[in-house]
Amino acid sequence: MRVFTCKNRFEDMMTCIYDAWEYALKHGHGNVKLMREPVIQYSFADEYVHIEADEEKTKKVVRSIIRSISYGAYIYVYYATLYYEDTLDDIYRFLNIGFREGAKVTTMLTEPSVIRMMEYKRKVGNEIHYSREFIRFNSIDNKVYVCHWEPKCDIIYMAATHFADRMPSEHFMIIDDNRKYAVIHPADGEMYLTDLSEEELLRLKQTEQYADEYRNLWSTFFETIGIKQRENAKCQRNMFPIWMRKHAVEFMDGKNEKMK
Amino acid sequence: MFELQAGLSVQEKLHILADAAKYDVACTSSGVDRKGGKGMLGNARACGICHSFAADGRCISLLKILMTNHCVYDCRYCINRVSNDVPRATFTPEEICELTIEFYKRNYIEGLFLSSGVLKNPTYTMEKMCEALALLRGKYQFNGYIHVKTIPGASDELLAMAGLFADRISVNLELPTEASLKKLAPNKSFQSIINPMAKVSNTIAENRLALGKSAHMERSWGNQYLRGSIFAVGNGGIERDDNDKIVKNHLSDVSENNISNTDKNGIVTSDNSGVLDLSGMKELSMYGSTNHIRQFAPAGQSTQMIIGASGESDYTLLQTTQKLYQSFDLKRVFYSAYIPINEDSALPSLDTAPPLLREHRLYQADWLLRFYGFQADELLSEDKPDFNVQLDPKCDWALRHLDIFPIEVQTASYDMILRVPGIGPRSAKRIMQARRYGSLNYDSLKKMGVVLKRAHYFITCGGHMMFKTPIEENYITRQLTAVNAKENWQVTHTEQYRQMSLFDDFGVS
Ligand code: SF4
Repeated sequence: MRVFTCKNRFEDMMTCIYDAWEYALKHGHGNVKLMREPVIQYSFADEYVHIEADEEKTKKVVRSIIRSISYGAYIYVYYATLYYEDTLDDIYRFLNIGFREGAKVTTMLTEPSVIRMMEYKRKVGNEIHYSREFIRFNSIDNKVYVCHWEPKCDIIYMAATHFADRMPSEHFMIIDDNRKYAVIHPADGEMYLTDLSEEELLRLKQTEQYADEYRNLWSTFFETIGIKQRENAKCQRNMFPIWMRKHAVEFMDGKNEKMK
Repeated sequence: MFELQAGLSVQEKLHILADAAKYDVACTSSGVDRKGGKGMLGNARACGICHSFAADGRCISLLKILMTNHCVYDCRYCINRVSNDVPRATFTPEEICELTIEFYKRNYIEGLFLSSGVLKNPTYTMEKMCEALALLRGKYQFNGYIHVKTIPGASDELLAMAGLFADRISVNLELPTEASLKKLAPNKSFQSIINPMAKVSNTIAENRLALGKSAHMERSWGNQYLRGSIFAVGNGGIERDDNDKIVKNHLSDVSENNISNTDKNGIVTSDNSGVLDLSGMKELSMYGSTNHIRQFAPAGQSTQMIIGASGESDYTLLQTTQKLYQSFDLKRVFYSAYIPINEDSALPSLDTAPPLLREHRLYQADWLLRFYGFQADELLSEDKPDFNVQLDPKCDWALRHLDIFPIEVQTASYDMILRVPGIGPRSAKRIMQARRYGSLNYDSLKKMGVVLKRAHYFITCGGHMMFKTPIEENYITRQLTAVNAKENWQVTHTEQYRQMSLFDDFGVS
């Protein structure tokens, strides 16, 4: 068995699929396996090949998914690449069925790999939705809006597309504190990604402590709007999980956390 | 009454006016998709976006405030009634705008929910509210969501204006019968609530037609396949001729049944309810953030009823709900469990617990009407006017119709599949799609989102049941009651406030 491995980025994964596919045309799909790096456990019987990103091959893969399967299938694949666990081999198997069966692949829920792809899409989609809900921006003198976020899946770019539509004429940035990169949106401009050094991260971290009267006003509103006679901390926790509250103004510094 | 007007800080006003607004349940930002644009602030998503969850577990999506909690009326159930001695405050239009804009930019909210007590008189109040909305859409170029509650008795012109600035407009019915309304809201009349509701409904329809859309509000995907749906043609909804003009909107039925029990000729008919005149408002509607004319209340109309302040049965409430959907094409009907805040001989005593489970059952039933093709009469009747405390309305219905179960998921129709406890619209759709390409099994059903611990009593898959369980009412009731009891209190509060069925099928699946 030949194992194709690559970095955890979209272009790398698409290229990896391209190369594995090419190899499989001669040796059979059953004789390839795809993995995201780092590879946790090697097996003696297998041969490992590292694949580097290639723009042309990436474009080819994307184009043929959209053309020969469907745009919907491409969305499945794209979302699966953002998932926090290794989904690469499932993507490959999904495409296998897709190139054979066409657009209906996304409804073939009796196939295990299709069901798994549906799960990834649902989970990534949910996390994108959560980000639209729970991301908070900190205003720096009403000029720049900065957000820190720690999503499980790699979704800050997808999140940023929503905010670019929502406030196109504002400067803002969304920072993935763990993956250490940011999406920057200049007012009326094009978004771009940038990696952040430890030092930059530390400096940006302080924005969450920045004095801003609206943070207090928001906390006032938040504390007032709940109905006492209906208090239900359990429900509140289900809807707004504790691990997602870290950057929410209304819960910061242990405020409003009831553990009943 | 104690007046604190002068010298109140925005923070103090916000505290008073959010506190006074919190009893209104609607906080959704759903029903309209709208892109943002350069120079503007805001967009809108049809699915709605919650931004936080309050200590009571309810979604916070909008800045929900009253413009003022001064009120010249004396509705018995309301904290702001004139006879109460509470701190009062009034926001200026600028203050409302700044809070909305600054909260919005920080992603605390999706927009504004503006309601108000009656300051001086309804028209004066509505004028002030419209002033705030005009500023927000104009000067501040705000393109996010606005829900405005209209003040019964305000002029048509102001109603038209409010609808052009807002995405959703609501008139609260509060109580389902004229008798209760007389008793508990002596300054309001049925006419003053139903009239604007009908006008808004007709205006939404006309405006939609003028924009080349169908007159009716969009409903969920599955409804087109549901013959029994309350929204289906011929099932008692608004009837239109070939030009989509309203022929009959069945308001007379409303009066006979329950919305009013006095006026036999119908409270309003389509002839005299009228349509608001938007023609004089062209400029006004361009004053907003887009450079084309705004649609009139694109996210539709909603209303709210208080549960448990008056003596109506669930059956009356549900029938009223159905009529409201059918006669006024309302987008949503909300229920609010009555919370005793006033010592009042006409109302439940102060130590009465809010009827939360009852409220939850009504929401579940409301979903069955809107997404599952049920009618009010199938769920309740004169003989059985209230919901079962132990079982959700769908399980309850299924247990009373065991003769049609089990059904075969491989071949049954969409509407039958949707009637199985444990199967919701999303899993039903997946079943329909998947079975065209392969045969189903219990494992794949589970992966499609079917809740087997409820569904397995009612289905066969490939000809056999999951377990050899008897199709016998007492047996299944016992099993399902156990399943339900565990979930009642969890589900009750978790799911009803999440907008739409983003993650689950709302506990009625
Ligand atoms: S009109 Fe009635 S319900 Fe509305 S604020 Fe005044 S007293 Fe309360």
